Amino acid sequence: MLFRQAGIFHTDYAADRALFPIPADRWMIVILLVLALAAPLYMNTLYLSSYMLPWLVWTAAALGLNLILGWAGQFHLGYAAVMGIGAYSAVHAQRAGIPWEIAIVLAGLMAAAIGSVFAFAALRVKGLYLALSTLALQFVMDWTISHVPAISGGTQATLQAPDIRLLGWPVTSDAGLFYVALVWCILVTTFMLNLRRTALGRALVAVREKDYAAAVIGVNSFYFKLVAFATSSFIAGVSGAVLIGTFYHAVTPEQFSVDISIQALAMVIVGGLGSIIGSYFGAAFILLMPGLMNAFISWLAAQFGFSLGIETLAHLPHALYGALIIGFLLIEPLGLGKIYGNIRDYLLVWPFGYVKK
Amino acid sequence: MDSMLLLESAINGALVGLMYSLVALGIVLIYKSSSVPNLAQGSMTMLAAYIVLAFANNAGAPLWLAIVLTIVTMFGIGVGIERVALRRLAGRPIIMILMMTLGLEIFLRAGSMTIWGGTSRPMPLGISDAPLFLGPLLINRAYAVGAAVAIALFVLLVLFFRTRIGVVLRAISDDYTAAWSVGISVERGVALSWALSAVVATIAGVLWGSVQGVDQSLAQLLLKGVTVAVLGGLDSIGGALLAGVLLGIVEGLASIVLDPLLGGASRDLVDAAMLILTIMLRPHGLFGRHDIERV
Amino acid sequence: MSEPIAAKVLSLNNVEVVYDHVSLAIKGVSIDVPVGGMVALLGANGSGKSTTLKSISGLLAAERGEVRRGEVQFLGRSIGGLMPQDRVKLGIAHVLEGRRVFEHLTPDENLIAASAVRSRNDMARNKDRVYSYFPRLHERRTVASGYLSGGEQQMLAIGRALMTQPKLLMLDEPSLGLAPFLVAEIFQILSRINREEGLSVLLVEQNAIAALEIVSHGYLIESGRIVMHDAADALKRNPDIQEFYLGGTDNKNFRDIKHYRRRKRWLT
Repeated sequence: MLFRQAGIFHTDYAADRALFPIPADRWMIVILLVLALAAPLYMNTLYLSSYMLPWLVWTAAALGLNLILGWAGQFHLGYAAVMGIGAYSAVHAQRAGIPWEIAIVLAGLMAAAIGSVFAFAALRVKGLYLALSTLALQFVMDWTISHVPAISGGTQATLQAPDIRLLGWPVTSDAGLFYVALVWCILVTTFMLNLRRTALGRALVAVREKDYAAAVIGVNSFYFKLVAFATSSFIAGVSGAVLIGTFYHAVTPEQFSVDISIQALAMVIVGGLGSIIGSYFGAAFILLMPGLMNAFISWLAAQFGFSLGIETLAHLPHALYGALIIGFLLIEPLGLGKIYGNIRDYLLVWPFGYVKK
Repeated sequence: MDSMLLLESAINGALVGLMYSLVALGIVLIYKSSSVPNLAQGSMTMLAAYIVLAFANNAGAPLWLAIVLTIVTMFGIGVGIERVALRRLAGRPIIMILMMTLGLEIFLRAGSMTIWGGTSRPMPLGISDAPLFLGPLLINRAYAVGAAVAIALFVLLVLFFRTRIGVVLRAISDDYTAAWSVGISVERGVALSWALSAVVATIAGVLWGSVQGVDQSLAQLLLKGVTVAVLGGLDSIGGALLAGVLLGIVEGLASIVLDPLLGGASRDLVDAAMLILTIMLRPHGLFGRHDIERV
Repeated sequence: MSEPIAAKVLSLNNVEVVYDHVSLAIKGVSIDVPVGGMVALLGANGSGKSTTLKSISGLLAAERGEVRRGEVQFLGRSIGGLMPQDRVKLGIAHVLEGRRVFEHLTPDENLIAASAVRSRNDMARNKDRVYSYFPRLHERRTVASGYLSGGEQQMLAIGRALMTQPKLLMLDEPSLGLAPFLVAEIFQILSRINREEGLSVLLVEQNAIAALEIVSHGYLIESGRIVMHDAADALKRNPDIQEFYLGGTDNKNFRDIKHYRRRKRWLT
């Protein structure tokens, strides 16, 4: 089968602790990378720029949220607001004449600085109260962004984002924008993959499991919570900036409202807490599901000869995605990532029934 | 600034606040009996209002009958929510349970929108628009009715939690396993709390619907409800009532004082700020129970 | 060693419990409790004592555990598929480890909550009975239970179990974290209840000295298996028991002990 453990013997610790200890995984990564790099060659621009590109950026964003939610175990209901901070910072920096490469880093730093406010909430309270206070912070930030004209450019305003220029070269083609998103997504993924092999990653998991106990064994839980929130906010900020630069090309407060926070949360839950590949699945699922659902339901309606109102079609995907969250929590709380893991584990030892753990 | 105007908006604010308590009471009811924070209370309120209208307009029932039928329906929906969504999550980490109620919130809200659409509909409760006069002060009649109902509900709930069933529900919220060990049917207790909370949501939905029409904005009462519930202490019924009054007054005054300065819509900001301040300064709210740690 | 068959209130036959579909907690556990008898189940940490009790009271499901094999009989009837509340109704009471009182309720409310399966009249009568056994609870009946002392909480936990009018009272380490004189007091009350009401008791303990004083029989469980069963007096005299559970008198070499234990484990 695809994944075989048979015949693979690691003779040193380095090989055993490699990112992808199984050759099949390495091959798969290479193939996927080649496919991704060649995507503009075989994919039409509609798919490339309206499905692939947002998927990659949202995957990066979901990975950032997964860092907080899945690894550090801290609730975050204000993630979209942090992305918004990054987006607005980048656009304003760009409009002030700062090159885009630097603008997105500034955006990340700005988001990290403001996003760390959430860490102070996490220091004080846990669980339910943290969820509610981050939700409240989302509202405060929403309100600030939309009510301070210096940020939003006036109420109800849309702020145009200048075109991206990398090292002086304008990037405007669909393929170019796609590669920008791809590079960012690969960067974040690589970071996350390596994070779990570092002291920081292990400390975060310790804090998640029981911050009190982590403190007892010498993990400074506040420091690590702060680092986790700052890192995740940085990823959020840059992802927000990239999303605006490559996809929306203009920024409005509604793009980062509380609904979007919940959507990001849904990506992580559906994908699987703490699962990297799950974030890819989750982002794809949540992004594609509404469109597919609408198409499917319209088709069904057409088959049975009755017409659905526009309003029904607008709200039905939301209802379904609420139902999806419920369904996943009931059936597979660890999400698509876990389902993938189960299949992989099964194949690793097929035809035998048990997985060596 | 006119002190009369301030007083008037403070009193009306207090009445509105009591109506926020209606939403908060539903949250408190569930939290007090199963330690589940219900983020779907807002959409349950909205759903109930739509069901009332469905009975009244589509099935042609008189409004009072529609309300009674809705109470029965919502009771069933509450039981159903426990059975389908929460039973399997008993004893799971809080993050899962929060996500579940959030998922319910999205599902119920968008589901109602799918069925009934987004246009606002009136809830003809027959409360006249003419204000009440309290000396020289104008009091909104609909708010006054809502506030009176909230107080009545408060009394009922306080009495309920003193009964044997009420004590059993509080026991469940303290310790699921211990409750099982003495023969309490935890599942049935939690289902009852959701059912009762759904009934409270019906009352809130009818009253709020008559004030601001039946549409998606009813679901947004969640933020007010949560703020009031947390400020009062999540398991304190009296706290929910008092916190409602407090939030209402603060909001009322803020809208007069802050709106001109901030360019409107300062109410939501005040809510969020109150919620954050409460959690940061006094997470257990005004009257919430503390986790008892005895050394 | 074996009891007459008719007079058993509880009988476990070859019970095997698996958690989470994979981890085996107890295997082949067989225990009999005679009607009106007092039996102890002794063992070290993690040996499967609590799991055994949960398999009887039906609390396994909440922890994703299940009885895979074997049978639990209560008064001659198999109770395998019953919900916890139905087992309580039949007369099985389980006093949980670590007391687990309803902290935010007063002792009085704790007792009320515990009579969910009994009628209102029974409740009043049971409450009087509990307060007569534990007068201290009556004195403190209006304080939040979380603020009671450890001994009072244990009394409340036992009183709460008595409110369900049990025929079999199972206690999980009632001596945990209590001063010796309190342990003695609580055990005295237990044997008084056993004597006066004919209530059968299954006592799970690490504190073997105190437990063997009041029970008639004892079972010894190790790594999820019953390794020994005898009358209490015989157990007290048994050199192995003295060695491991009663704090042996002569200092034996630790290497010998380990060796011995490994062998002992596979004895049955």
